[in-house]
Amino acid sequence: MRRHTRRVYNLCYRFTGNAAAAQDLSQDVFLRVYRTLRSYQPEYGAFATWLTSVTRNLLVDHYRRTRRDRLTDSIDETPQVDETHSTERTPHQQAEAVELSAQVQAGLSKLSPELREAVILRDLQGMEYGEIRKVLQVPEGTVKSRINRGRIELAKILQEMGVRPH
Amino acid sequence: MDWNCALTEDRLSDFLEGALASEEREACAAHASNCAACSEMLARVSGLIGEMHALKPLPEPNFLARRIVNNTLRARKRGSDLTSWSGWMALLWQPRFAMGIATVAVTIVILAHAAGPRLSQLTPADLNPVNLMRAGNRQAHLTYARGEKFVNDLRVVYEIRAMLATPEASQALPENQTSPSPDGKQPDTGQREERQFEQRREARMEQSGTVWAMLLASVGGSASHTANGSPL
Repeated sequence: MRRHTRRVYNLCYRFTGNAAAAQDLSQDVFLRVYRTLRSYQPEYGAFATWLTSVTRNLLVDHYRRTRRDRLTDSIDETPQVDETHSTERTPHQQAEAVELSAQVQAGLSKLSPELREAVILRDLQGMEYGEIRKVLQVPEGTVKSRINRGRIELAKILQEMGVRPH
Repeated sequence: MDWNCALTEDRLSDFLEGALASEEREACAAHASNCAACSEMLARVSGLIGEMHALKPLPEPNFLARRIVNNTLRARKRGSDLTSWSGWMALLWQPRFAMGIATVAVTIVILAHAAGPRLSQLTPADLNPVNLMRAGNRQAHLTYARGEKFVNDLRVVYEIRAMLATPEASQALPENQTSPSPDGKQPDTGQREERQFEQRREARMEQSGTVWAMLLASVGGSASHTANGSPL
């Protein structure tokens, strides 16, 4: 349960960049999972893939619903990042990781939603191309293209933000 | 194999993930070694991918899992109530409700059989709204008339009972009532009971005297009959 919760929460947070929205969306995801659990078929794939698919659909709905709100916000506004990491690292490493995570988050928020979700699923959620294809319901060639373009654009955005690779 | 910057950008992820054929990989590497822009882009994207893979998942708030469980349980409870058709059916199929529904149905059938229209006697004309209206109106007036008749009958019965009860009351009244004493004072209770006792005793004496007289007369008659020589 905790593993799935963390996975869903991270996906929601990375996509929205907002902790409160990610919490609300995570609850909605599990409510929808509970209500549509009968529609899940093992032939569709692993439960985690199905869970990611449900999450992604809710994120798309949320994105469309909040489009008008975002248009009224400042385009330079960067999302608030409140991140804490494992205590296995030294304080310096932790600080660097938190900073990098916040920078990546800021860069992701400037990507288009199609590229953003592809990069998140591949590089932050660690999913295979086949799984991403099932989640996004697009051909694998499209998935690879989106991931590739998303990575390049994100690298350019971070470069413009003055972020240097560590 | 010819390679250019556009190809490097298109196949960048495949190159970094080792998904290119050996010939393409060598061509891409050779181009990048001579192109500063492609070389820098490869380095940046490669570094970015490595950093993103190294990022650990963000810890979710501690309350989130508990809140999710609570919301899901609440949704299950709502679902089992009245928000869904299955919830209604589950409620109605409980023994007490099923028993209640069956009892009501049987009662309606009995009442319909006793007072309602006979289905076998129904004709299409009976289903005409005008006829239904007339029949309902007639039934309502009949019911009212029967109720009125019942009330009138009850009134007659009570009036007759009242008439029958009145003479007894008027006869019983003097016995219970005592005449005022000559000096205008009401006699006390002891005197009244004594007078009633005397009256009853005198009545019994009169009655017993009459019976004795009848008995003596009959005995005298038989004695004279015996003296005349008839067997006793």
